[in-house]
Amino acid sequence: MFRIRFHGRGGQGMKTASRILGSAFFLEGYETQDAPRYGAERRGAPMFAYVRAAKTTIFERGIILRPDLVVVADESLLLLQSAGVLADLAEHSLLLISSSHSPEELQKKLGMVRPLLTLSMPVPKDIFTSHPPQSSACAAAAAQLLGLSLQSVRQALHMELSGLSDEKMAENEETANSAFLQMEPHRGRVGEQPETGSVSEDRPSWIILPFEDARISSPAIHGEATSLLMDTGSWRSLKPFIHKEQCSRCDLCHTYCPEGAISFDNDGYPCIDYKHCKGCLICLVQCPLHAIEAVQEDGSFHNNKQGDDQCDNS
Amino acid sequence: MQKTSANALIPTSHLLGSGTATCSGCGALADIRLFYEILGEKTIFVNAAGCMTLLTVYPFTPFRGSWIYTAMASAPAGAQGVRDALDLLLAKGRLGKEEDLQVVVLTGDGSAYGMGLSSTSGAMERGLDFIYICYDNEGYGNTGHQFSAATPHGASTATSRGMTGFPGYKKDLFSIWAAHNPTYLATVSGADPLDMVRKIKKAKDLRGPRMFIALAPCPTGWHFDASQTVKIGKLAVQTGIWPLKEYVNGKVEHTRIVTKKRPVDEYLKMQGRFSHLFEPRRNEKVLDEIQTRVNDYWKNVEEGE
Ligand SMILES: Cc1ncc(C[n+]2csc(CCOP(=O)(O)OP(=O)(O)O)c2C)c(N)n1
Ligand code: SF4
Ligand code: SF4
Ligand code: SF4
Ligand SMILES: [Mg+2]
Repeated sequence: MFRIRFHGRGGQGMKTASRILGSAFFLEGYETQDAPRYGAERRGAPMFAYVRAAKTTIFERGIILRPDLVVVADESLLLLQSAGVLADLAEHSLLLISSSHSPEELQKKLGMVRPLLTLSMPVPKDIFTSHPPQSSACAAAAAQLLGLSLQSVRQALHMELSGLSDEKMAENEETANSAFLQMEPHRGRVGEQPETGSVSEDRPSWIILPFEDARISSPAIHGEATSLLMDTGSWRSLKPFIHKEQCSRCDLCHTYCPEGAISFDNDGYPCIDYKHCKGCLICLVQCPLHAIEAVQEDGSFHNNKQGDDQCDNS
Repeated sequence: MQKTSANALIPTSHLLGSGTATCSGCGALADIRLFYEILGEKTIFVNAAGCMTLLTVYPFTPFRGSWIYTAMASAPAGAQGVRDALDLLLAKGRLGKEEDLQVVVLTGDGSAYGMGLSSTSGAMERGLDFIYICYDNEGYGNTGHQFSAATPHGASTATSRGMTGFPGYKKDLFSIWAAHNPTYLATVSGADPLDMVRKIKKAKDLRGPRMFIALAPCPTGWHFDASQTVKIGKLAVQTGIWPLKEYVNGKVEHTRIVTKKRPVDEYLKMQGRFSHLFEPRRNEKVLDEIQTRVNDYWKNVEEGE
């Protein structure tokens, strides 16, 4: 049986990637499972999807514990423990990461020794598109590593993306072709592993809680604005950066930021709370002077020590 | 405390905490943030099941005042109970006047236009002293965007697939609510914060049922990139699709009259939920119908005012 896990953020197309790969397997005569798993379906929040495929009946259910292949839509997810990219990896698990770095560079950057492959993706024509061709690329690259044919991938693309315009479809096909080609030297590198069955899994350890009175057992929150403890900054893949020298202090970015992540420094310039900014880039689109730039998230999601947070008046 | 900008268009106190689980670019969150700035922490939010119940996930909450959760159909009934309890405590002197709270119902369109319509009708009938905020993302967002009674004609949803999308028409909740003659009623949009702030301030100082329908562009359910939320919110008004209006003393007044309206295409084209009306070829029939309905609405307004 093949076990593949896709990691991404809501909106990056990894659910679709898992469906494309699942359909490609199906077209080659496999029994398949493909399913997304979200915390709650939230655009920007880390999510994963998984695929199982076998020529025999699959008895395994639920999330994948020992993946043969892990596909990652965005390298910043590796730095985020809660995304669980590195969780439950087996010795043989292969990582395929969408990144502009070479495998060696990325290993060095992440301090990782485990074998990995990188998939370089063309810069999308429009960073604000809601149908990134990334799903097609990731599915096609995975298919190559799993020994599936390009023809099945293309057919699966048409099955899963049937609503797209001809132009977008062509862009997806093109991206899929080139991702498939990129992985040519590694064709069939991911092999099947035997079905293990439930006996090999650890038993859950239960904690028995006594029955309590409703005043104790019903959830009541007494603190105020405790949500501030959540680091939703980790949802970003692009980060807004304000160029003060271009800014007229017009206040529009602050007005429209849905997260309340923009406030003002001592000189009245807007500054961004990177611990909470989810990277929607509404501020960028609304800024009349184009003073806000989208930069690739480098993994230092929080207000870090190097004064990365632009609000220095805390 | 946050610094204020000399040019601040809206309050900058960041009363509603960041760090909630709503999607990146959520239009409903932007709406509620603004409501909270104006209404303040001396409020109790009575929240029916929907996306915004995820604001508060134990032990995290963005609120600084109170919040309780109710079933989808019964937030206004919950609000009645809370209002009654507050009034009793005030009457008995167990709460001081300064401890009184503004009771605020918060529900999605699924509740407001559908399941909760009956309990809302009852609350207005009894003249309940409360504020109702319906954030309208035009579908059952929290469960994967199935259609609701607020879904516009032609939109595709998780339960309206196919080449023509949702066959029904958006219910005219404004008129249904207006027929109850509430103290105050308005439509608002987070993309027009000045109009919105003015209306909330006005309602805050009144007593009785004060009702709001807030447009809430939803990147996840409407299929557009999170960065476009405000742009889409503005286009909804500029095309005439989302009229900004209020109802006071038995009269409806439009608070923004757009003299040169943009074609509805501009609004629809930006959203994946309408893409089947443009690709692979234009569905002239449905697009014409949508445009005609908007034209007719505004023609009626002009003739009536
Ligand atoms: C009586 C009842 N039926 C169904 C549900 C499941 N449910 C939870 S949230 C939701 C969607 C609510 O839609 P809406 O009110 O528009 O809020 P949104 O999710 O769009 O924010 C549904 C159907 C429920 N909680 N209660
Ligand atoms: S990208 Fe801009 S608008 Fe969006 S959350 Fe971050 S600061 Fe706010
Ligand atoms: S919108 Fe642009 S110009 Fe205006 S305050 Fe923000 S960064 Fe400055
Ligand atoms: S689904 Fe829509 S309304 Fe719900 S949290 Fe996401 S963006 Fe907001
Ligand atoms: Mg809704």
